[in-house]
Amino acid sequence: MAEFTNEILIDAPADEVWAVVAAAERQAEWFPGMLSSTVEDGIRTIGTAAGGFLFEKILSVDHEQMRFEYTITGPLQFDHHLGALQVDTEGDSSRVSYTQEIRPEALTYALRAATGDALIGLKDLVETGTYSRGFQAADGEGA
Amino acid sequence: MGRKILFVTTDQQRYDALGCNGGVVARTPVVDALAANGIRYERAHPQNVVCMPSRATMLTGQHIRNHGVWMNGVPLPAEAPTVAGLLHDSGYRTGLFGKAHFEPFLDPFLRFPENRMGVSGATHDEAGPHRGFERMEFAGHGAAGLVHYGSWLRDNHPEHMAGYFPVLDMTLEVNHEGGGDTGAPQVKHNTVPRGIYHTDWVADRAISWLDGLDSAEDWFCWLSFPDPHHPWNPPQSELHRVPWRDLDLPEGYPEDASERERLLDSKPAHWRRWYDGDLVSNYEAPARWVPATLTADQVREVNAMVHIQNELVDEALGRVLSAIDARGWDDDLDVIYTTDHGEFQGDFGLLFKGPYHVDSLMRLPLVWRPAPSSTGQPAVVSEPVGLMDLAPTFCSIAGLDVPSWMDGVPLPLSGADAANSGRSGVITEWDSLHPNGTEVHLQSIVADQMLCTRYEAGTCHEGTEGELYDLTEDPLQRVNLWDDPAMGATRHDLVGALDETLPERPAILLPAEAAV
Repeated sequence: MAEFTNEILIDAPADEVWAVVAAAERQAEWFPGMLSSTVEDGIRTIGTAAGGFLFEKILSVDHEQMRFEYTITGPLQFDHHLGALQVDTEGDSSRVSYTQEIRPEALTYALRAATGDALIGLKDLVETGTYSRGFQAADGEGA
Repeated sequence: MGRKILFVTTDQQRYDALGCNGGVVARTPVVDALAANGIRYERAHPQNVVCMPSRATMLTGQHIRNHGVWMNGVPLPAEAPTVAGLLHDSGYRTGLFGKAHFEPFLDPFLRFPENRMGVSGATHDEAGPHRGFERMEFAGHGAAGLVHYGSWLRDNHPEHMAGYFPVLDMTLEVNHEGGGDTGAPQVKHNTVPRGIYHTDWVADRAISWLDGLDSAEDWFCWLSFPDPHHPWNPPQSELHRVPWRDLDLPEGYPEDASERERLLDSKPAHWRRWYDGDLVSNYEAPARWVPATLTADQVREVNAMVHIQNELVDEALGRVLSAIDARGWDDDLDVIYTTDHGEFQGDFGLLFKGPYHVDSLMRLPLVWRPAPSSTGQPAVVSEPVGLMDLAPTFCSIAGLDVPSWMDGVPLPLSGADAANSGRSGVITEWDSLHPNGTEVHLQSIVADQMLCTRYEAGTCHEGTEGELYDLTEDPLQRVNLWDDPAMGATRHDLVGALDETLPERPAILLPAEAAV
């Protein structure tokens, strides 16, 4: 099993960041390469820019701990997958940690790079109210 | 008006695939004729034995450590200088048709421009040439993938999408399932008609682009066939060409299991560990496939499929050359034919590729037919040359100075030219950091008819291991001389030459952004 964590510091209070992260249907607003994200009966359906879909079961939305957990359930069939977004207060700012566990490991590097982009997108959205990352690759920050 | 350049690459093709190199199964009259009228290189080596690093070297003329693409999944930096860019800036029209793979294939969120072009159908970047190419139309290893061919097949022949073998499984690992008559991995009888198989589609797209050029223009066309890389699924209408049951086993395949295992045990530990299914060190072979299960009939069937795919490539190249001739360009046409790396095809009981530096993966076909209007004469060059010499050769053909950022030098025109050039050997290197924690690092040099590989410490090796083969006496690399006291001086000299030639590793490795 592979596990990785990307982190980013966002210049906003944690509850403000958590409000965006906890709104599962808003993920496409800050995750580059996601064209749509809808939630029904605890299942989030992601439409990807490559023309495919990802189905994710939302495992927990813990408002007290500010932690969001999900697992990819299809159409890809991993032996194990866990995605977790954790928001923590850091001074006047927030630290967001995006961890994924995956087995088999083939998608590890692609997910790591994409979630690095996503954290930058989240930072843009929260700090500026706009999302401008488009398809730009991560330049190292947060990756 | 200057010389036109047709750069032809296949993917994962062995040196012995071609008739001109001694191949006796696949009929390759087109490239054989190019060799007869040009220069055939007997020791052409890649600087890495997987696609992305090797292709980055072709495009930049640089060592792996200088362009930074150390493994599949590491994108060539957007700002990397390219020979296509140089040629374009000097007035050449530039196009690439087929497999590029300068950026990762595994890209669900479309992070990379090549994949966005493939999905959208765009054939050029609005911002200007992409990596120096003004037109790009991509094909991969089948119907899937973010490439123009896949989109075209889906839009025009959706009934044939499922004819291709799915290269990846539902976990995105390389698919270990098999098919055909023997259940060999990545083999399938493909219902796609020959005329719309990707090999012919690539030729068609190149011909279409060339047809649109003005006769007076100079051009650089990279004709990049995805075959004979797995999956091994040529159109089933062509299977009659090479009946697998009639095929002799390849010389490199020891049919006796104990002999195979003895040979593997004489090499560093990762050879046998992979064979036994005890090690996954890289993504390029199916993680769930155990080489020890490979049967002699499966070796025959895989080889038959590859030979068929090689024949189709040769015929498609013939169509492109005929189209060029019809335009009256042949007298000024340089054709260079090669591949990015080799394939085991049963050698040592293995298939696919990985951190194994032997001729199966490292000795490549390379033929240069200089423009008949130039001074080039037919020749055979036995001195080692590298794929990093290609970009400087293109500069030379176009009359451009070779820029200082290129590490290679123009290919020699003859054996005498090679002997006079002071070449000291060719380097091939491998670094892999698998997400499962496995690390493998090795570097090789081919010089003076010797192949020397040095291993660095990793999760499979202590850093003291090595391989040393006499390529004249031991063409199948079965006798490892690394620990032979009588070869100590040779080993010392070759490791010294390796250290002297190999650039420093970059302080910061570029991140892998996908598995492939």
